[in-house]
Amino acid sequence: MSLMMVPLGETKIVTEFRGKDDMKRHLQDLGVVKGEKIQVVGETSSGLILLIKGVRIALNRGLASLIIVN
Amino acid sequence: MDYVIALAGNPNSGKTTLFNELTGSKQHVGNWPGVTVDKKEGVYKKDKNIKILDLPGTYSLSPYSAEEIIARDYIVKNKPDVVINIVDGTNIERNLYLTLQIAETKIPMVVAMNMMDEVESQGDKIDCEKLKNILGVPVIPIVARNGKGLDKLMAEAVKVAKDKPLGKKLEVFDENISNAVNAISELLIESNNDSSSVKAISTEAQWKAIKLVENDEIVSSTLSDNKRAAVEKIVREAEKNADGDTEAKIADLRYQFITKTVNTAVKKSKKGYVETKSDKIDKILTNRFLALPIFAIIMYLMFAITFSENFLLIEGLPSPGVWLAGLAEGLWGSFADVVDGLIANASPVVYSLIMDGVIEGLGAIIGFIPLVWVLYLLISFLEDCGYMARIAFVMDRIFRRFGLSGRSFIPLLMGFGCGVPAVMATRTLDSEKDRTITTIITAFMPCGAKLPIFAMFVSTFFAGNNKTLVTYSLYMLSIVVAIVVSLILNKFVYKSATSNFVMELPRYRVPTIKSIAIHGWEKVKGFAVKAGTVIFISTILIWLLSNFNINSFNGVNAANNEDGVIMAEMDDSFLASVGNAVAPVFKPLGFGEWRPTVGVATGWIAKEMVVVTLAQLYDDDVSPEYLEGYFSQYNQEELEELGFEDGQYDEEAAFDIYTEGILWEGEDENALSTMKDDIKTKAAAYSYMVFNLLCMPCFAAVGATKRELKSWKLTGAAVGTQMLTAYIVAFVVYTVGSLIA
Repeated sequence: MSLMMVPLGETKIVTEFRGKDDMKRHLQDLGVVKGEKIQVVGETSSGLILLIKGVRIALNRGLASLIIVN
Repeated sequence: MDYVIALAGNPNSGKTTLFNELTGSKQHVGNWPGVTVDKKEGVYKKDKNIKILDLPGTYSLSPYSAEEIIARDYIVKNKPDVVINIVDGTNIERNLYLTLQIAETKIPMVVAMNMMDEVESQGDKIDCEKLKNILGVPVIPIVARNGKGLDKLMAEAVKVAKDKPLGKKLEVFDENISNAVNAISELLIESNNDSSSVKAISTEAQWKAIKLVENDEIVSSTLSDNKRAAVEKIVREAEKNADGDTEAKIADLRYQFITKTVNTAVKKSKKGYVETKSDKIDKILTNRFLALPIFAIIMYLMFAITFSENFLLIEGLPSPGVWLAGLAEGLWGSFADVVDGLIANASPVVYSLIMDGVIEGLGAIIGFIPLVWVLYLLISFLEDCGYMARIAFVMDRIFRRFGLSGRSFIPLLMGFGCGVPAVMATRTLDSEKDRTITTIITAFMPCGAKLPIFAMFVSTFFAGNNKTLVTYSLYMLSIVVAIVVSLILNKFVYKSATSNFVMELPRYRVPTIKSIAIHGWEKVKGFAVKAGTVIFISTILIWLLSNFNINSFNGVNAANNEDGVIMAEMDDSFLASVGNAVAPVFKPLGFGEWRPTVGVATGWIAKEMVVVTLAQLYDDDVSPEYLEGYFSQYNQEELEELGFEDGQYDEEAAFDIYTEGILWEGEDENALSTMKDDIKTKAAAYSYMVFNLLCMPCFAAVGATKRELKSWKLTGAAVGTQMLTAYIVAFVVYTVGSLIA
């Protein structure tokens, strides 16, 4: 499922990114790679706050919906 | 022997703090990703032969934003003697990702394990010896903020710079990737057997090969067509064995290596998610419903502290910004009096140059340097504590509707202070489209230098109206115009989707006073320097052009004037001739006369010059004769009330009392009569303010624009857009305004 559907507080594993290559690379640099644990720790009107590798990352809804987890 | 040491690390890893500690320099340290938007140079304070460079923060050597490209280019092309890689110990997994990539370049490296105090207080342990053995480079624990471990770090860095040890070969990649990298690097070396040493070629080829397997477009574009085809063949082959994506595979392998490393060398007291204080604050500040109201209150407070004349809604209480501005103006006034006394007997030309040119010119801008400073102190506070990153995120939803990312908010906000740092801040934006559009619309913001224009015109022409409301309407107009222009450019010029928003949210920190003060000063410095140089020179130039004409130099003036003065009347000057030639262009906007025209042009030197110029060009309106006539209507008691000592009319005090008391309050109906001959109606006055607000910014900001957009063509297009927008909006304002009135 897409990251947008993950309830607040839950931890999932990243399986796929369906966006463009340069954004994919940037997300990898920030720690969002296949097989990584990702937790939704905040929800705002703009998007989600994620915890990944101990760092809080904010991303907008459109981007969050491109990240596939299970 | 001289060494060059480059500091590289993730944003927020403490790089700039380390740089300041090492160089003793007063660089600003922010809690906002992207504080170092350009590389900064310093000298090690304990050894002047060591040069230290602070590179922009970067997450990897595959650059994503413009500032990251600066960091990569420097490391790869300029090859510093040693790179100090700063790693945030509290965030070691993500930070080591860059460490591995720097190691791939084989540039000598020392790892500075920063924030060791916070690591300890969390109850975690980092074994730097073990890390050193795994990574094959020195790993030194430090606390950049209090200087702990820095001597050892520098000693190690110098040793590495001297010895240039060959880094250890790290077993990061699997067989498939390693084979592809080796095959490509052999391919690159083959045709490259020129004179430089084989070793150097092979290290560089190795690094390039890794980047090529990662599909790096920048490296790929340097290859010949033949070679690119050969490389692509190898990469495609490797992709078959890597689930179709070598780039993701490499990232994955790096992180696997890091996880193994961290498991060996780092002991964490707590596993998994622990709600920190930062998270609790975020629950409120980024809350779906509270975020915007809280943000609005903070913005209101920021502007009130800076600009409010009735601070905290108390009638007549100046805000800190306004109070400081008054203080500065007072001091400048006393200084002017002293100078006046000193040169009272000088020749008329010299006296006029100093008093009318320099003192009056600089005096007009002295008053708002404190305003800009206070505004930037507050912006710095918001940046340093970490709130700015949240505002950008919260604003993203709104900005997205106008085709911009929330990150554009910061440059625009800074535009309220000064356009130059604002334009430079666009470098942290991800896409070129966002950078270009934000740069263009930043110029529409009512920067500190435009405020005197509003103050002068609003108090002169709108004295009977609600002055705050009129000024406020200009602020609103600038924002509306910025939105509309952004929408138009998005729709008709770029036609591309808005780039996504992704940003690290740093932990909230209480900023130190020192850091905020440095930050505020850093930003206001450019502004003050501009005032001291560009404006100084241009005031003299304007004085020259407005007081002389051709007859000054062929003896005609000297012969005609009784006392042999060669200066000309202003409406007969060089400036008047040029202004008269251009003025008709502005007829449709309501101010097609030479003096307002000249005002617009000098505004491009610096916006504050508009007021300075008009004050110089219309000085008949506040001449001693006029003032004496005006004050003669008052009796002694009234004069005392107005501020004259003992109710005695005093020529020297009259000017200040008139401009600050009478003129600004709009009590003299016949005030500025010559100016009102040129700008006749309120509609024309408003149109003049609008044109100056929106048209091309000052040359300093245009220069910054050129630096960011990297092309004269784009810069020209940006300025063209601004001029066209200003003309259209001012025209509409004047036409509609004239119809209503």
